[in-house]
Amino acid sequence: MKILVPIKRVIDYAIKIRVDPTKGAQGVQLSNVKMSMNPFCEIAIEEAIRLKEKTTAEVVAVSIGPKQCTETLRTALAMGADRGIHIETKADVRGDYIDMQPWGIATLLKGVVEREGGVDLVLLGKQSIDSDCGQTGTLLAGLLNAPQATFASKVDRGDDGSFTVERETDSGTEVIKLKPSAMPAIITCDLRLNTPRYPTMPNIMKAKKKPVQTISLEDMVKELGLNLDEVLTPKNEVIEVYEPPPRKEGEMVGDVMELLAKLKEKGLVA
Amino acid sequence: MAASLQRTLGPFNINRFLSPPKQACLRYINGPTVDLSHSIHAPSLSDPPPSPQHDRRSRLPSDFLSSLRARHPGLDVSINPYDLDSHGRGESHHPTAAPDAVIRPTRVEEVRDILTACCRERRVEGEDLPIVEIVSVIPYGSGTSLEGHLQFLQRAEDEGSPGADEGEIKDIPTSCFTVRDDEANAYKKVRIKRKGGISVDMCNFQFIGEVGDDAFVRVGAGVTRNALNEALRHTGMQFMVDPGADATIGGMSACAASGTAAVKYGTMRDNVLAMTAVLPPTTILSANDEATASNNATSKVVNLGCNALKSSAGYNLPALLTGSEGTLGVLTEITVKLHPLPAYVLAASCAFDDLHCAAEAVANIRMMGVPVSRIELLDEMSIQAFNQSLIMEGCGDGGEDDAGALRLKPMELKPTLFIEFASHSEISAHEDLSAAKNICVADFGGKNFVSAADESTRHSLWAARHRLYYSAIALRADGGDSDSPTAQSTIVTDVCVPLSHFADIITDTANNVRESGVVGPCFGHAGDGNFHCILPLKKNDTKEYRDRVTAIIENMINRAISVGGTCTGEHGIGYGKKKYLAKMYGEGGVLMMEALKKSIDPWNIMNPGKIVDNDSYGGHDIVTEN
Repeated sequence: MKILVPIKRVIDYAIKIRVDPTKGAQGVQLSNVKMSMNPFCEIAIEEAIRLKEKTTAEVVAVSIGPKQCTETLRTALAMGADRGIHIETKADVRGDYIDMQPWGIATLLKGVVEREGGVDLVLLGKQSIDSDCGQTGTLLAGLLNAPQATFASKVDRGDDGSFTVERETDSGTEVIKLKPSAMPAIITCDLRLNTPRYPTMPNIMKAKKKPVQTISLEDMVKELGLNLDEVLTPKNEVIEVYEPPPRKEGEMVGDVMELLAKLKEKGLVA
Repeated sequence: MAASLQRTLGPFNINRFLSPPKQACLRYINGPTVDLSHSIHAPSLSDPPPSPQHDRRSRLPSDFLSSLRARHPGLDVSINPYDLDSHGRGESHHPTAAPDAVIRPTRVEEVRDILTACCRERRVEGEDLPIVEIVSVIPYGSGTSLEGHLQFLQRAEDEGSPGADEGEIKDIPTSCFTVRDDEANAYKKVRIKRKGGISVDMCNFQFIGEVGDDAFVRVGAGVTRNALNEALRHTGMQFMVDPGADATIGGMSACAASGTAAVKYGTMRDNVLAMTAVLPPTTILSANDEATASNNATSKVVNLGCNALKSSAGYNLPALLTGSEGTLGVLTEITVKLHPLPAYVLAASCAFDDLHCAAEAVANIRMMGVPVSRIELLDEMSIQAFNQSLIMEGCGDGGEDDAGALRLKPMELKPTLFIEFASHSEISAHEDLSAAKNICVADFGGKNFVSAADESTRHSLWAARHRLYYSAIALRADGGDSDSPTAQSTIVTDVCVPLSHFADIITDTANNVRESGVVGPCFGHAGDGNFHCILPLKKNDTKEYRDRVTAIIENMINRAISVGGTCTGEHGIGYGKKKYLAKMYGEGGVLMMEALKKSIDPWNIMNPGKIVDNDSYGGHDIVTEN
C-alpha cells in the first residue's frame, strides 16, 4: 500500500499568536516564533504509521513551503515515514498567514499523486491551525474525482482495498465505507483518531538518512504542466487580522435584585 | 555546647544563633469563608478601601500595592477573595491560609522590586518611632504541594492581641538600613511590624529554551512539566522527573520533587543544573531612599550553577535552593537535565502472598543490579481500592478507562509489584525482565507474573497504580454524600528508609493500619525505599479515629528515623514535619539550617515558618528594650 501524507509547517499550537502591526492589515508575528508540524497533520502521519505497522505500506510525506519545511519532514520521517518530498517555495511567497491557499495546494497535490503513481490513500489533517480553512482534503478529492471521508476518528482497511471510516459529526458518529477505486481514498483526520507518538532518539537519527527530494515550486509546476499563477493567486483575500479585545473587568453586583436590574438595563432580559 | 559549636563554626558571633527562641507560638488561621450575603464592593486594583463589610481586611502596608503598580504599570495584582484563597493552599489536608494579594509578575525585575518592597522603613505622621514593615512572600507554581508549603502562617502577635498593631520595639543596627541618617549612633530604635503576605504566582514565566544537541533545557519557573515535555516531543529527549501532579518546574525545584521515575533518573536534586533566583533583601530600604535606580534594589538577582554535568566550583548553591521550599528566594528560571526517550519499554506486574516478601524482592532486584525504570509496590488495601473503584464505575469485570477502551479487570487481592523496564534495545529490556521475574517468582514466591510491550496493554497493567490516589480516597466514600473524603481531607504521608529496612517498615505500617481498623492503603516507590500511606478523613470522623490515624503516622515516621531513614522522602517539611528535623539531625544540624536561613533571609520574608524558624530581627544581636 502507498500512503501519501501532506503535512504543513505552522506556528506551534502552544504559542500565543501576536498580530504584527508592521505587516499591515494581515500580519501575524512570525519571526522568532516556534514553528511545528500542524497537530492534525501529526495525527495523519501517526495513522499512516499505524496502518504501515498493521500491513506493509510505504508512507510518503510531502510538504509545500520554505526551506525549513525539511525539518518538519524530518519529524515525519522520525515518526516512521519512509521518504519525503519537499516542494520548496521562495521565502516571500508565504505572505499573509494563510500563505498559499487550499486551491493552489490541492492542485499541486493532485499533481504529486499522479506523479507518484500507485497511491492508495491520502491522509491529511482535517484543517490547519493557522488558516483553519479545512478545504485542502476535500478540494483534492474533487480534483481527483476520488472517494473521501472527513473528520475521521477511526480508520480500518478492508482486504479488498476499501476503507471503513468512523466520522465525528455534531449529531454523532457516522460510519461510511470508501469503496476500492482507481483513485486513492482521501481521508482527513480529526483529533480523536489517535495520539501521535513521540519519536525516540534512534528513530530521529535514522530519519536523517531517509531520502527527502527537494524540488522548487517553479520546477514542480513546470513538471506537472500547471500554471504558476493559478497555483499562487489567492482565491480569498485576508482583509484584516486583529487580536480579540482584552476581556473587560466584570461588574460586581451586591445581590440578585441588583443583578436583575443590570440585566434589564443591558437589554439582556425582558 | 556553645563552645564546641564555636570551634566548629568559627569565630563569627555565635550568640545570635543561640538566642532563646521567641515565645511565638506559630499557629495558622483558617481561611475566612467568603459570605456572599454581604455586599461585595468591586475590588479595585489599587489598595482596597477599608470596608467594614469586607470579610477580610488586607494586612499589607497601605501603599504597598500602589507603589509597586506605580513602578510597574500593568503589574498583575489581584485581591479577589477566591484568588487569595486558592493561593493559600496546596493539595493537602492542611487548612487554607490565604495571602492578602496575589501578584503575577512577568519579568525578573518585577520580582526583584516586589521583594525589595517587602522590607521597608516608614515614617508615619504622629508615630513616635520609625516603623519597619515586613511583608511575607510565598512563590506559587501549580499549587500541588503536600505539606502546607503555600499556607501563610501567622504568629499569635500578628493578630488581635494588644501590641499586634503596635509591632515590637527594637534597637536595630543602623548598618541594617540602606541610608544611614545618623552617623553618630550605631543603633536606631524602631517598631517592627509584620504586615501580611503576598503570593508571587510565577505563571507568566513560560520561557522554554532551545534544546540543541545537549541534554538540558532552560525553562521559566512557571512552565509545567507536561507543557515542557509536550514542547520537547520531537527532540527525542524528555524531562524525566514525574511526581504525578502537573507541577511547575519552579515548584518542583523548590520542593525537590521526586516520583516513580526516581529509581532510574533520580530526583530533582539530580536533575537541576543551574538556576536564576531572586534573593530576599538583607537590608531595610530606608524611608528616604527612593531606590529608583536598579542598583538600589535591596533584593538581588543571582545566577547559580552552570550547564556542565559536573562541577566542583565552590559551594553547591543550586543544591541549596533545590528543596528550600521557597524559604530562601524566588526561582525565576531553571536549567534541568533531559534524558532520551527509551526506545523499548516493557511493563510487568507480579502478585505476592506476603507484603514482606514483595518488598524483599524489590530490595533483591536492586542489590542484584537489575535495571528497572519504575518499580512500585501496592499493598492489599491499595488493590482493594482499585477493585472497588471499578465496581463504583459500574464495570464489574471489565471497564473502560478514559485512555481509549482499556478493559480493566479487578485484580487478585494480594500485595502487587508494578515494574517497568526501559532500554535502548529490545533484547536487553527482555533480559532485565527475565532477571526480575526470576527473582520475584523463584526466590520470593511471586505469582502471576505478567508482562506486556504494547502501550495500551502496559497502560491497563499499571491501571491500579495510576488510579491509586483517587481510588484510595474513594475507599471511604459513601455513595458520593457530602461527607465523603476529598483530596483536601486526605493525609498523604511519606517516609524513606534504607533498602535493608524497607520490607520491615512497610509491613509494620500496613499491619498497624489493619490492626487500628483505619483506612490507609500503603504503596511505595519501592526501589528507593520510599513509601506513602494515604489516610482519607471525613468531616464527621470521631476524634478517636483521627487519633488512631495520627498514631499510625507518628509510628511510621519514628520507625523510619530510628533506622537511619527520613521523615519525608519526597513531600518536604513544610510546617507539619519541622518537629522531626531535630530528631533526624540533632540540634547542631537544625542550628546549621537556621544559620543558613538567617544569613540569606535575615528578615524572614520568604515563606516564614517553614522548615526552620527565624525569630531573629535581621539576624543581628538586638538590644532588647527593657
